[in-house]
Amino acid sequence: MKDEVRLQELADRLGTAAAERLDLERTARAVVERLRAGPRAESWTWLQPAWLRIAAAAILVIGGGLVTRAVVWHRAPGSAVVAPVGEDVTDLTTEQLREALTVLDQPISVEGAGDAGVEGLTAEELRALLQTLEG
Amino acid sequence: MPQAEPVAAPVSDAALIAAWQGGDEQAAAELVRRHARVLARFLSGAGALEADLDDLVQDTFIRAFRSVGKFRGQCQFRTWLLTIGGNVLKDAARRAKRAKLVPLEHELQATDGDPHERAVAGEAEGRMQECLRRLPRLQREVFLLRAQQGLEYQEIAAALGTTPGAARVHYHHAVKRLKEHLR
Repeated sequence: MKDEVRLQELADRLGTAAAERLDLERTARAVVERLRAGPRAESWTWLQPAWLRIAAAAILVIGGGLVTRAVVWHRAPGSAVVAPVGEDVTDLTTEQLREALTVLDQPISVEGAGDAGVEGLTAEELRALLQTLEG
Repeated sequence: MPQAEPVAAPVSDAALIAAWQGGDEQAAAELVRRHARVLARFLSGAGALEADLDDLVQDTFIRAFRSVGKFRGQCQFRTWLLTIGGNVLKDAARRAKRAKLVPLEHELQATDGDPHERAVAGEAEGRMQECLRRLPRLQREVFLLRAQQGLEYQEIAAALGTTPGAARVHYHHAVKRLKEHLR
């Protein structure tokens, strides 16, 4: 019971001194001026950190997707790169090495290279492409 | 003998809100004068630094006036204002990410009373604020609305979008933890 009385006394006193020091007229004037300045501030409320974070995440996802897509499309014609990036060619079998050399001997067609799809690839090339992507 | 002028009845909050919506800036100023101190007390109790108090009070009123169309009279305007104050404080704390305690020296700025008593009172208040800050937000706000503002559970529940029973439970949890801390 004594604790509750003390708690109530503290609650009654809490913030009273700070509130008393508030200059009511100045605060009222400032609020009215800010309201007058009005809609501009309101229109910025959507630009809060949460929204900015969401926008940034969306840009990253979309941008990342576009870059990945571009890389895949560009690699597709010469996709018979047998050895995935970072792998040593000593790990390749004779058959794989031969295939890689065949691909490297082929002339690189610049025109339309970016437009080529995976339709023109052989089963072997597609497999190699998949390995590269998984690698 | 000259007759005394009749005392004008105080204008209700609802009338002032309607006047503000009709473009009367003085109505808005009157609402600020009427409720700013209570709001400041609530914010201070909820952990606002005194240095931030004026800005927080202003931000709360701005937010309230701009969304006053959403106020349906489910509770008093003042209670609704306090809940907006709670949201403003939460947003500010998230931005600042720093401790929200009223430093003791602010309490000592008061010049009345015995300095020792003031220091002891300031310490107890500081401890209570520290404990309040550690409570879950709903418990803290229910406690302040009940113990500091003297509101009924019905009114608190309407403002916070909960039931009177739940508000009562939150209050009792808060009291229990505050008692433990202040013992």
